[in-house]
Amino acid sequence: MQRIFSALIHYRNAIIYLILLTISLLYLNSNSNFHQSQIEKYGLYFSQRIYNLSYSIKKYFNLKKVNSDLFEENRKLKELELRSRSVSLYPKDYYPLRRYPFEIKKGNVIKNSFLNQRNFIIVDKGKADGIKPEMAVISDRGIIGIVKAVSENYSSIISILNQNLKINIRLKKSNAVGTLSWKGINPLEFQIEDVVRNTSIQIGDTIITGGMSSYFPFGIPIGKITDFEDNSKAGYYTINAKLFEDPSLIYHVYIIENKDLEEINRLQENTLK
Amino acid sequence: MNRNNIILIISFILLVFFQTLVFNNLYLFGFINPMVYVLFLVIYRFDYDQTFFILSSFILGFLIDFFSQSGGAHTISTLTVGFIRPIIIKNTFVVSSEIPGSFQNENRILDKYLFLSSIIGLHHFLYFVFVYFNWRAISLIIKNTLSTFVFSLILISLISVFYNKSNDS
Repeated sequence: MQRIFSALIHYRNAIIYLILLTISLLYLNSNSNFHQSQIEKYGLYFSQRIYNLSYSIKKYFNLKKVNSDLFEENRKLKELELRSRSVSLYPKDYYPLRRYPFEIKKGNVIKNSFLNQRNFIIVDKGKADGIKPEMAVISDRGIIGIVKAVSENYSSIISILNQNLKINIRLKKSNAVGTLSWKGINPLEFQIEDVVRNTSIQIGDTIITGGMSSYFPFGIPIGKITDFEDNSKAGYYTINAKLFEDPSLIYHVYIIENKDLEEINRLQENTLK
Repeated sequence: MNRNNIILIISFILLVFFQTLVFNNLYLFGFINPMVYVLFLVIYRFDYDQTFFILSSFILGFLIDFFSQSGGAHTISTLTVGFIRPIIIKNTFVVSSEIPGSFQNENRILDKYLFLSSIIGLHHFLYFVFVYFNWRAISLIIKNTLSTFVFSLILISLISVFYNKSNDS
């Protein structure tokens, strides 16, 4: 209390000045209409600035919700995009209610390893959200992996940065089929094998998913060819490719369910018997 | 109550009267009314109480406003100059080893006029800012400030010479 008083005494000149200035401003305000309107104008200006500031702060704290809304919207759009791509595979399916077995769910990456030779990703969606093993996982601009194990609320994914994972792909221009696998060093550099010699390929060709693995739907762009080697004796190309998106940096993923997967697998087993 | 204080009080009253009755009706060149009452801000001794000085400059400005029916521009400018006068003193008498006790005791002409013109200039500038109260009128504010400043400076320096003499005798 004493310190407050001593501070008041110490700053008495400034305090008295401010009080008297306020009084004289009020006097000015009450005496002249011009000054009154002018002061109101400045007051409006400042209150507007403060309102704008509080609005932007509110907006900032709202961003999380906006972000999740956008993510949901993106999920719907992704589903539509994949559905529209599938047209080239099933050309007669133009009517709107045609069967499309793939359905998309959202997920957020909570753990992502990329330094090993066999990498795994953990996603915050599990059995409770309808995730099952062997579902495909993609991101905005590429593919991420395949669900391996599922717990109640989480699921682990074999990353595309795993040398055991081989993915069926096509070249967009020539429709040639191949197999994509990670080289094991740079998260962007991949290798494509089993592309038959008699197709014409060029550097820069886009690689898309092949649609033959029953995990990934047809037509998701993955990356492009950086260079290739002509193995004339073996009859196959060895192609180096670069991904569009670095799988070590992703946060939002889409998990794709193929509702026909069980049916396809059963059919396969019956055929082999 | 010593002689100095009596002189101060009498000049306070006389300044209010002369400002409102004479100088506010001059209209030199049609628009210049020199503000001589600023002299009070100069002759108040530097070593007297600052709090009382702020209060008295507020009352001075208020009286001028009251008698000349002007909004509150005199009050605000006089009060503000009174509040920041110690800073002006410190900066204008910067060469001296110690700050003089009052304006009248100082002998160096250059320092005196620097102090005088910064007090008057700041006061007039604040006054016209609050009269026009609009940054678009900035050219008008500067023009009025400069022209009034010249005449106020001449009048105030003339009267302050008279103060010097009366103080010495």
